[in-house]
Amino acid sequence: MLSRAREKRLTQLNQGATPLNQIRHAGTTAFGPALAVERFRFGNGLEVLLCEDHSAPVVAYHTWYRVGSRHERPGKTGLAHLFEHLMFNETEKLAAGEFDRKLEEAGAESNAATWLDWTQYTIAIPRGQLPLVIRLEAERMSRLVLRDPQVKSEKEVVANERRYRVEDDVEGSVSETLWSMAFEKHAYRWPTIGWMADIEGFSTEDCQEFYRTFYAPNNATIVVVGDVTETALLSRVQEAYGHLPPSTLPLEDVHPEPPQLEERRCELSKPTATEKLAIGYHTPAIGDFDHPALSLLSEVLFGGRASRMHQALVRRLEIASEIRVFVGPFRDPGLTEIFSSARGSHTAEELLAAIDHEIAKVCEEPISSDEIERARARTELSLIAGLETADGKASTIGFYDTVLGRPAAGFERLDDLARVTASDLRRVARRYLVQRQRSVIFVRAQGNEKEAAA
Amino acid sequence: MTVQSIDIGNSRLLLESSPALPLVHLTVALSSGALEDPEGKEGLTRLTARAMRRTGGGLSQQELDTRIDSLGGSLGADVSHSTVSFTGTVIARNLDAFVDLVIDVLARPGFSEEEVALLRRETEAELIEARDNDRALARRWFSRKMFAGHPYGRSVSGRTATVPGMTAADARALYQRTWTRQNVLSTFSGDIDEARARSRAERLLDALGSGERLPDRVTDPTGPLGRSLVFVDKPERTQTQILIGGLGSHPRDPDHIALHVANTVLGGTFTARLMKEVRSKRGWSYGAYSSLPYDRHRQAFSMWTFPKASDAAACIKLELELLAAWCEKGITARELAGAKRYLTRSHAFAIDTATKRVGLALDALVYDLPPSYYEGYLDHIAEVTLERANAAIRARIDPTNLVVAVVGTAGEIEADVRAAIPDLGAHEIVPHDAD
Repeated sequence: MLSRAREKRLTQLNQGATPLNQIRHAGTTAFGPALAVERFRFGNGLEVLLCEDHSAPVVAYHTWYRVGSRHERPGKTGLAHLFEHLMFNETEKLAAGEFDRKLEEAGAESNAATWLDWTQYTIAIPRGQLPLVIRLEAERMSRLVLRDPQVKSEKEVVANERRYRVEDDVEGSVSETLWSMAFEKHAYRWPTIGWMADIEGFSTEDCQEFYRTFYAPNNATIVVVGDVTETALLSRVQEAYGHLPPSTLPLEDVHPEPPQLEERRCELSKPTATEKLAIGYHTPAIGDFDHPALSLLSEVLFGGRASRMHQALVRRLEIASEIRVFVGPFRDPGLTEIFSSARGSHTAEELLAAIDHEIAKVCEEPISSDEIERARARTELSLIAGLETADGKASTIGFYDTVLGRPAAGFERLDDLARVTASDLRRVARRYLVQRQRSVIFVRAQGNEKEAAA
Repeated sequence: MTVQSIDIGNSRLLLESSPALPLVHLTVALSSGALEDPEGKEGLTRLTARAMRRTGGGLSQQELDTRIDSLGGSLGADVSHSTVSFTGTVIARNLDAFVDLVIDVLARPGFSEEEVALLRRETEAELIEARDNDRALARRWFSRKMFAGHPYGRSVSGRTATVPGMTAADARALYQRTWTRQNVLSTFSGDIDEARARSRAERLLDALGSGERLPDRVTDPTGPLGRSLVFVDKPERTQTQILIGGLGSHPRDPDHIALHVANTVLGGTFTARLMKEVRSKRGWSYGAYSSLPYDRHRQAFSMWTFPKASDAAACIKLELELLAAWCEKGITARELAGAKRYLTRSHAFAIDTATKRVGLALDALVYDLPPSYYEGYLDHIAEVTLERANAAIRARIDPTNLVVAVVGTAGEIEADVRAAIPDLGAHEIVPHDAD
């Protein structure tokens, strides 16, 4: 329900405003026991989520664009990520380098991230610096200058980032191969950082077209958390963004991934001391009913040193030095990735056999209530611990709102997890952790190959 | 929002209550670290801490981890050269049961032969695995050459040659010598009041043994003489990891904060000189930074970049030129003003939670920082003048005495790298899988 004070404030702000910069209150959502998220919608489509939190004199100002690598096309992969870099460059009012310099002098901590479904720009500032950040973010949403020298230089930087994260990193390159093996149709098959040839091939025109299409108020949500008041925020956001026109967003051209009917395997040879194993199971989207159960199952199997996999592979059998899992938190069905490093002369095949053994057990034998409770407690701690800073809260709100449309879905997820039963865990294990739906990569250690050949 | 410092017997408790979230954080830190490793037992302090974490109260590793997880808690052991800290977080409703487990870990470790043997084998495997990480390789070899002959040059994790020789008896002996109430500091922050924090800290201290406060036997390192290169040879590197540095500073130096401000101009931010020249202008490296870390004794100053292999030599040459210009000409008034504004305003994020504030207060005690180091931080920054900043660079940073550590494929670029370093003295190539 709209409070009378808020109604009065919005009426004042909307007086004389054009249709584009009219502000509408679009709902209140509880965010944990003590905080709330207020949603505002501008006439030009811009969404603002505000969570007032006066526990520290700082503000987190995050801008989420609903564009990620899923919106790219073959031959132009990595454009969303390259664009994230370009957003720190020249604007019509600011020379190259001035954006960062102004933020630094304001004491801001700024960063950005691009993934499959979204791009996120994060700025945390001392509370008095909020007006500057609003001006700067609005400026680069609409007045970025894209010229050949910046694009050329930033392509070099991104190519170097790729060398760092993929080419010279065993796990990075294996993960990239795994996704491209597992997906044949869906846009999740190419890496967010892009293929090297595509990065090298981008033109300034590619970047300009991408900017015009996706960087617009109707494709963005601003999340503000911290020591700020609603009135002060809305008037400044209205002034900075209210005049910006929406863009015509293209229809998404993403193809659903057809079911995988048989296991895919490949071998890679890397300059590493020990063999590695990577497995990718096709698993559901984050909004799927089964996703919480699958996450809980992965905690039981892989979460911490008391988990089944750690106990079996690292401690009992001593065949692995580590084993980890990552359950994809994506809008569309993604992968649950398992990565393990063999110990000494143990092989990737031994790792696979041991992992399969543990998975077979959860497909057959019920998981104890103690194990389920432990997995729930670990998940609860992880969520709450991520909310200590304004930045952590803004990331949580922005992520869940962007992928699920609900800013407090992190807390809803705790309720979902509380309802998961042993039957659910066995059901999702049987449904998703099946061999025909997985891709497997065996990584051979180059040094050992040479020794074997000799 | 202030940190309370409470005397408890022969120890000190730091506390800040904050009911913002239903979480309690605790840290129990030792005022000694891996510098206490006996000769030939490099890595023993870390192995001891990990063994404590796995055998507390005579429980098995699985029992301990199961109980901690079930409480919605986490407990980790971190070991550095100068301290060992056990840091835990727990959902507030389970605090008491969690503290019981922490006491088991810290005051009643079992050190079973079986667990220590398992830990030895695990550590060996991790050391081999760590060779996959080029950045870690560069850091390791940089420290080893930078602090040759000094305990800072030794690896906290140990080496594959030293770990197999460690026994449960070694761990127990080190534990008994170091983990006494006289050497321990504790902190609580979050959803806990003073009375509860004090009683839990007292229980912990009562459970620990008593002993002498450990003296600090380590002297300040002297740093390298001349310019040297250590090239870590690894096959198929498309990129290099490069660390260049020399002796740095200590917070007790009267010009430490002035140097900290000057370093911010060289490589402390995204618009600093290194980033501007290496990344923004040339696109050579994803990142380019300089750092000036502190420890209980003088640590290293270093610059870090990771250009593609074919740019490595040119990048090193450029970095050395930037370093020389910084040392000879200093920073400008505009740069100083910008760095001071950044450091002053961004300090808000060093102190925006109770846990961070307590952490800084703990650092001040563990690293024996001057009493006003953090409390007077903003005043100290404000006092830095251009003359003091530039004098600090000249006094502390010596561009003629440097270690250059490079991870790359030697056959392809080592000769070019050597040629890019003027006045290079000693140089060697080490295999990436050397111990």
